[in-house]
Amino acid sequence: MQFFNLEIVAPAKITFSAPVKSVTIPGTLGEFQVLYNHAPMIATFEVGKIKIVNENDSETLYATGGGTVEVLNNKVLVLADSIEEIEKIDIDRAKNALERAKKRLSDPDKNKIDVTRAEAALARAMNRIHLTEKYSAR
Amino acid sequence: MPTLRDIKTRIKGVQSTQQITKAMKMVAAAKLRRAQENIINARPYAKKISSILNHLITDDDRASNPFIVPREVKKVAVVSVSADRGMCGAFNSNIIKETSRYIEEELKPKGIEALLYCVGKKGNDFYAKRDYDVINSKVGIFGTLKYELSLEISEFIISGYLKGDFDKVVVIYNEFKTVMQQKIVCEELLPIPVFEGDVAEKYSDNYIYEPDHDAIIKFLLPKHLKAQIWRVLLESYASENGAKMTAMDNATANANELIKNLTITFNKARQTAITTEILEIVSGANALKAG
Repeated sequence: MQFFNLEIVAPAKITFSAPVKSVTIPGTLGEFQVLYNHAPMIATFEVGKIKIVNENDSETLYATGGGTVEVLNNKVLVLADSIEEIEKIDIDRAKNALERAKKRLSDPDKNKIDVTRAEAALARAMNRIHLTEKYSAR
Repeated sequence: MPTLRDIKTRIKGVQSTQQITKAMKMVAAAKLRRAQENIINARPYAKKISSILNHLITDDDRASNPFIVPREVKKVAVVSVSADRGMCGAFNSNIIKETSRYIEEELKPKGIEALLYCVGKKGNDFYAKRDYDVINSKVGIFGTLKYELSLEISEFIISGYLKGDFDKVVVIYNEFKTVMQQKIVCEELLPIPVFEGDVAEKYSDNYIYEPDHDAIIKFLLPKHLKAQIWRVLLESYASENGAKMTAMDNATANANELIKNLTITFNKARQTAITTEILEIVSGANALKAG
């Protein structure tokens, strides 16, 4: 089996950079997996889970808040708006964010921008909590 | 000749100034460490997003996308990034100098109107008082630098650009090279500069797009601008603290020099006083003996 180079870059830092076997990404039109010799592609992805199969067959899981991915010449570049390893999610912070977002959405006088932002925040917080509950027990 | 006490007061004064500059240097050094870390971490994202965008741009976009097609330039928005505070050497005056030079030499002779967007208090203070068209400003922001700020700035720029308030947007800021070195950069933000002859050009027809090409461009363009503006703010903040640290280090060293010189003057004056006194006593004694 052959490897390709995966780089995950978030606004605050380079999160991941190593050769991997595969990566699964929650694309806008549905989840997809990238393997060696994938055709050139540019895609956007949504809030969800990124799964990496490392060189030694171990898996690394990330929770992400959406972004863009480019596949070119066996180099995969993931530009994530926010990303963290599932084991490292701050669950209390996510729960607080969930509460805040819910509160904001139930506020009767809200303008349009706040709603989209709060909805996005709600989706991110729910994703973090959901993934932590599902995987951190393993 | 100043009296002994005058010199003593001056030494005390210089010493207390030195203490302040020393403290400011320490503060700048601590802030610099974090700012430097931030900018080094933020650079890859800004660079990669612009590279993806460039892979994404096709000939069609070059002909039709409002963010990419250059227009006839009548008005230029100049985003000038200075600092909120002084005490950082020539940092602010260099930015102001370059901004004014750009406006006076590159825009005005061609009959292009310049609209200023001042980020940072020092630049704003300067231009608000003079005959410049300041359309917007953000002051007092570097103490708590937040990502939302680059959102606000980019939203303003994007909406103004699309409305036709200005036909080009440039940003002038200090790029962080090393602690001692800042480089003034003048960069075009809009229309988005397209690199010619990129390696990916031959692939651009073969890319698979998901969901589709236009949607991705629409998604990526504002993100790109935000990332670039965020990078510019971090660059400027790191540079500011670097400049401040260097300036305060120099000031502390200068104060040391001053204290050294003053101490020598003080010792000389004391010696003169003692000599005079001894001379008086000796001549007094001699006069008594002779009498």
